[in-house]
Amino acid sequence: MKKIGMGIALALVLIITLMAGCAKGGVSTTVKGDFIDGESGGDAETLNWILAADATSFSYAGHTVDSLATYDNQLNIQLRCLAKDIEVSPDGLVYTVTIRNDLKWSNGLAVTSEDYVYTLKNLMFSDWLNYPYKSDWQEEVDGKTVFVTPQVVNDTTFSIIRQNAYPEFIYTIYSLTPYPKYIAVNYEGNVEAFTQAPEFNNLSYTGNLGPYKFKEWSRNDRFVVERNPDYYLGKDIGAPYFDQYIIKLFGDSTTRQAALQAGDITSTGIEPAEVNRFKSMPNINVYTIPTRGYTLLAYNQRANGWEALKDKKVRQALSTAISKQTISQAILLGFAEPAYSFIPTTSPWYTDEGISKYGVDPLFGKQLAAELLFNEGYGTKENDGTIRVTNKDGTPVNLILAVNTGSKPAQDMAFSIRKDLLQLGIETEIKLVPWATLLRQYVMNTVPDSKQEPAYNNGSEAVSQQRWDMILMGFNTDLLAPSGSHVFFTTKGGLNFFGYSNPEVDELFGRARSEEALDKTSRRQIYAELSQVLSDEQPVDFLVFHRANVAFQKNVMGIDPGVNMGYNYYIWYFEPVK
Amino acid sequence: MGKSWLRDYIVKRLLYAVIIAWGILTITFILVRVGPSSPADKYLANIAARGGDPAQVTAAVEARYGLDKPIYVQYFNYLGNLFRGNWGWSFSTSMPVIELIKTHWIYSFQLILLSSIFAAVLGILIGIYSAVKQYTKTDYAFTFMSFIGISIPTFWLGIMLILVFSVKLGLFKTYYDTSLPLFSLDNLKALILPVITLGTGMLAGYVRYTRSAMLDNLKKAFVTTARAKGLPERTVIGKHVFRNALLPLVTIIMFDLGSIVFGGAYLTEIIFGIPGLGQISFNAIFANDYPVVVAVTLIGTFMVLLVNLATDISYTYLDPRIRYG
Repeated sequence: MKKIGMGIALALVLIITLMAGCAKGGVSTTVKGDFIDGESGGDAETLNWILAADATSFSYAGHTVDSLATYDNQLNIQLRCLAKDIEVSPDGLVYTVTIRNDLKWSNGLAVTSEDYVYTLKNLMFSDWLNYPYKSDWQEEVDGKTVFVTPQVVNDTTFSIIRQNAYPEFIYTIYSLTPYPKYIAVNYEGNVEAFTQAPEFNNLSYTGNLGPYKFKEWSRNDRFVVERNPDYYLGKDIGAPYFDQYIIKLFGDSTTRQAALQAGDITSTGIEPAEVNRFKSMPNINVYTIPTRGYTLLAYNQRANGWEALKDKKVRQALSTAISKQTISQAILLGFAEPAYSFIPTTSPWYTDEGISKYGVDPLFGKQLAAELLFNEGYGTKENDGTIRVTNKDGTPVNLILAVNTGSKPAQDMAFSIRKDLLQLGIETEIKLVPWATLLRQYVMNTVPDSKQEPAYNNGSEAVSQQRWDMILMGFNTDLLAPSGSHVFFTTKGGLNFFGYSNPEVDELFGRARSEEALDKTSRRQIYAELSQVLSDEQPVDFLVFHRANVAFQKNVMGIDPGVNMGYNYYIWYFEPVK
Repeated sequence: MGKSWLRDYIVKRLLYAVIIAWGILTITFILVRVGPSSPADKYLANIAARGGDPAQVTAAVEARYGLDKPIYVQYFNYLGNLFRGNWGWSFSTSMPVIELIKTHWIYSFQLILLSSIFAAVLGILIGIYSAVKQYTKTDYAFTFMSFIGISIPTFWLGIMLILVFSVKLGLFKTYYDTSLPLFSLDNLKALILPVITLGTGMLAGYVRYTRSAMLDNLKKAFVTTARAKGLPERTVIGKHVFRNALLPLVTIIMFDLGSIVFGGAYLTEIIFGIPGLGQISFNAIFANDYPVVVAVTLIGTFMVLLVNLATDISYTYLDPRIRYG
């Protein structure tokens, strides 16, 4: 009996050892090596993320603290700190959030719903801290802006109550990460002390909340996190599998790409012109993935733009003349697809039905564009039937196109647009200006002779400091919650700097953010109508949706390429040496 | 008495340096603070994208960093803190300014120091050789190469060096690794390409200046006298010609040192990913992070003033006839 017992014990040890070695899908993974991610978009501002407004700060902190949930490449919700998905009441007003019961702060205390509610009520909603994104948690009630109401239900459950239904509010909750109440109370009310708090600036509180723990941040150089052996999602499978995850900053894309080629870094983004070269390298894998970003050409419909741009037919005509094929194929080398509305094809809310596809056949061409303009009174016909586009008084049309410096593709697009419009007889002056100048002098506006602070949309009477007719700019659409784009296209939208106003669009966005949209079929219909109206109205010329190219050393395994390819990065690993 | 006049001169110059530094600090502070930009600028697009009020956010961010007070209050607060050794909080990097500078100055310093030594030593030696062997094939070759060295853009040279020596030959890492111990051979090796990149232009310049200064002096009567006295050629060149040629060279070398402290090293830092003061100050300017901008300007000012003082003092040793009143 004793021998049988010993045999069983040995067998069990063997099985456990084998299981530990075969962490995922039977593939042997061991913890080893440093993953070095080459970036060149600028450094983070702070690790005290609640004070940050830049995406890099959130991304750095995100290695050490998980949000409640994320989504995969098919846009399915992946639970993180949530024990189960958020429950939404049938009227869409009450959200019940249940967190895992194995979440710990660094001092061993459990992370409770009290921490989440404290973070919301005492930090994000407070006046003293001025959380930059507090408006995400506000709603309009009887003409007043009020916060939603978070409440503790028990140690692992809390609720958030709204007074108006907003179906896509759930995605705001998914992105929530907590601050430890036991530390934050010591700094409450003192913004200077909170800003400089060592615990928050060194992320020393993060316990088992993220796959990595903070190690070092050398400004403008590198951000280093080390493996967190206690990570709540990794404890059963031994993940994460890298000793350290390092973000190395480069000032230039050439040196960043050279570092990947030389094997000095593990992964980085690749410029379109370099993709084929990297694809041919035996040690590199390049993945082309869709993104949420698109480039548009804004038409100035304010008083200091070309008067004709207020006319939908003129905007349609210009969009007809501008070739999206040239931009997507010749400039972006095929790593972009023509855009016709603000919702990308990767979004579940995308629809192709009834969309007006300006800028590609059959709604593309010099002759068609010229005729549209002529029909609106902007042109004269020569004896041979050729149309010469002019102002209504017969004077030549001269437009100003502003674009920021520092982006070669954007500048190439500007020159392509200039060339297309020149074929109609429209002369375009390209103004290359630094980003800060573009925002201050061209985008922000005020009502003339008023004491308004400049803003992106100060009402229909407001105009920018400099005159402009078109601006090239990059926008993003939230794939799961496209109604956030109301800020661009509604009359009072915070980023509607081009002065577009259409009551129908205002109403549709309002419906997309209302109780009516709780029914997904209704919401789909609303988004379809919005796409149809905006693609027809052309408040902006939606030019292209971008694709990104991300390259990895070939020995990196576990990657699931797609729109959110980092969602499972905690189980990536280096291929074991054979 | 010795050189007591020199001690008085140094004290006087140091006093002037403090006054000049204060003036530059004040001008920099005012320029940074009265400009149209705000540290909140970078928040605005994100805030507007979420339907927030940019004016409210600007006010909040400025209040967070004490920028909502009148400018003279901010100025005197800043001066008071500076005298107490508090250089302020960098709001674009979230750390005390003094810590930021303490961490990063060494990266710029080692690069500038090694580049200057590399350029000065090699440049002077080649320049002397070129002058002594005037109109030989070697002289023509050095002259040709020094013109290339002067014309070559730093940015292009750095990238080419990386592509050839790091990517193709695999001799060096493609970027500077801050995890290496500072006083180690590995660190020295990591600095070879950056030093060549930053030093090449200076080196080429020194070759030209040295050659020209040497040729000027070689034609002088005292050289003929020295040779007539039967002094060995090595002594004539080293002790008589070179010593006289050194005075303008020291001026140029020190001037170069001042220029690279104030930004010349920035491009090299960018190419090789060296997180030196050049990068720090450049980013601080764009982030309107005035505590960092003022601090770095102040340090740069002192460096230039001290380098100038050192140059003037070195003259008195190179040419004992020089005295300052």
